[in-house]
Amino acid sequence: MKYVILGASAAGINAAKTIRELDPNGEITIVSKDKAIYSRCMLHHVISQGRQPREINFAEENFFEKYNINWLAGQEVLGLNTEEKTVLLTGDLKISYDRLLIATGSSSFIPPIKNLAAAKQIFGLRNIEDAVAVNLAAENTGAAVVIGAGLIGMDAAYALADRGLEVTVIETAEHILPLQLDKTAAQKYEKLFRQNAVNFFFKETTVEIKLDQDNNVRGVVLQSGAFVHCGLVIVAAGVRSNIEFLKNTNVKIGRGIQVNSYQETSVPNIYAAGDVCESTETFTGQVSLTPIWPSAILQGRTAGSNMAAIPRQLEINFAFKNSMTFYGLHTISFGLTGQADSDSKELIYQDAGNYKKIIFKDGVIKGAILQGDISNSGLIGKLVQDKTKISHPEQIFNMTYANFFAQKENGEFCFACNDNCH
Amino acid sequence: MAVKQGRRILINKDLCQGCKNCQLACMAEHTGNKSVLLLDLENRANQARNFIEPGNDGKPVPILCRHCDDPACVTACMSGAMTKNPYTGEVSCDINKCAGCWMCVMSCPFGIIQPDRVNGTRAVKCDFCAGRHIPRCVEACPTGAITMEQR
Ligand SMILES: Cc1cc2nc3c(=O)[nH]c(=O)nc-3n(C[C@H](O)[C@H](O)[C@H](O)COP(=O)(O)OP(=O)(O)OC[C@H]3O[C@@H](n4cnc5c(N)ncnc54)[C@H](O)[C@@H]3O)c2cc1C
Ligand code: SF4
Ligand code: SF4
Repeated sequence: MKYVILGASAAGINAAKTIRELDPNGEITIVSKDKAIYSRCMLHHVISQGRQPREINFAEENFFEKYNINWLAGQEVLGLNTEEKTVLLTGDLKISYDRLLIATGSSSFIPPIKNLAAAKQIFGLRNIEDAVAVNLAAENTGAAVVIGAGLIGMDAAYALADRGLEVTVIETAEHILPLQLDKTAAQKYEKLFRQNAVNFFFKETTVEIKLDQDNNVRGVVLQSGAFVHCGLVIVAAGVRSNIEFLKNTNVKIGRGIQVNSYQETSVPNIYAAGDVCESTETFTGQVSLTPIWPSAILQGRTAGSNMAAIPRQLEINFAFKNSMTFYGLHTISFGLTGQADSDSKELIYQDAGNYKKIIFKDGVIKGAILQGDISNSGLIGKLVQDKTKISHPEQIFNMTYANFFAQKENGEFCFACNDNCH
Repeated sequence: MAVKQGRRILINKDLCQGCKNCQLACMAEHTGNKSVLLLDLENRANQARNFIEPGNDGKPVPILCRHCDDPACVTACMSGAMTKNPYTGEVSCDINKCAGCWMCVMSCPFGIIQPDRVNGTRAVKCDFCAGRHIPRCVEACPTGAITMEQR
């Protein structure tokens, strides 16, 4: 059996490992544009210079030798022929497969802003090459602009400020991290960021990049007419699935590659996993992208198992969860965290170091923000994921696993009534 | 390469008296001198990796890392710090790799993992008393509520 995996990140690496565990003799090839294995979630540590590029490798030592996997690094996939069962790589190289996994992830979305394409110091933050280029540009300027105050934008802003740049964040919503936090939790962070030379423009968009005659970035112009001086811009305005090479194929695509719970695409023997695909998400029950690390891992393992002919369904595909930490303040959030609707009930706990909010609807937790003390937040996540009815919502902030304690035969914990336990 | 679960700490909550000896033992084991007698409870660096919490009936329940067969903390870890040893089944965190992102804290449904209390930059969890044959909590429990099973 010839397995080919496109992408050498969370989904691809975990799929390959799973295949090898189930099929000791199959031929496994991974193709990736990436020339190194690294966790994208730590790229900002390379910018803040907290870590060297080699220190963000997430895979086991000697991964490829250990699992006997052939890795074509630094190779771009340009096309796919589903009849011939081949993929086309740079330099007219063709490789054939019996089973194919597409785990090509996503790329930074670059919005149409005047002069953005021509500008020299404009970067996304998705690949190690981006982080290295940002570092070079940061040597030559004292000021940076970050477009977009989502998690990647705030990671970038934090890292740039940490290395001494004055940073301005431009966000269309009215506070940072609009998908992850409510206004109260966001403002706690904004205050800390401001104390560290990070400024914000909310309800604003960037309309133009100002360049000098050599296309060096000199600043950005906002919709209101305001001008922000800077020598480098990071664009963190969302991501798009890497699916260009599927253009002339019959692989079905929505916002990402459509897959079922076995990670199968619409074409036999072709699977997809991770940021590149869209699937039914557990919390909403809707088909959507699931662009977080644990989803990529679980989908990769599921795909790998099915490719090795051991049927496995993705049972939990919960992507509405976030963790973050800035300036020593930790936050974990789940579900829908913004304005609760009229038939929901909000419970809030607040003291000097903590802000906790839980949104209930029909006795089930629909959203949670835990800022400050984040211990036991995993329990809340489990209750959100399982849509567990909470009989005493008012006690939610004191609940621990002791309130749900149940054991399996083998001594593992489980949740009474939800899992198979005795 | 099926994972073998070598040892597991078993819990019989009905025997737990809530004396928290196991917590003291855990804290002591993770200090330099390992002594309960010298343990400074005011020092925030002394952090237990096991918990005794009241259940619905108000009686104490020991909550200890299960070193799960399919650990949610390992799946969530984006740095490669959190791993399950395929031979012993133990789930441990390499603090030199840990990035303090709290994906694991967010994912352990039992609330076992916590940020370290001093710097808040590294994950703290049960390490099965690395190197010790019988974990300190098991040794310290006077009632038999926490025992170790060897498979
Ligand atoms: C700065 C940053 C911080 C993040 N922080 C978090 C976090 O804290 N928690 C969290 O859950 N998630 C976080 N994420 C998201 C997380 O990184 C992704 O969900 C995860 O990496 C998805 O893994 P993947 O394997 O699907 O794809 P990717 O990691 O995107 O990998 C795609 C792979 O495909 C290869 N590839 C792409 N196109 C081609 C092609 N045409 N030919 C050949 N190879 C190709 C790439 O080289 C790469 O190897 C963060 C992301 C970033 C950028
Ligand atoms: S920390 Fe939690 S998820 Fe991880 S092994 Fe222990 S009990 Fe399981
Ligand atoms: S806090 Fe450390 S151990 Fe936990 S998921 Fe992040 S990197 Fe892994």
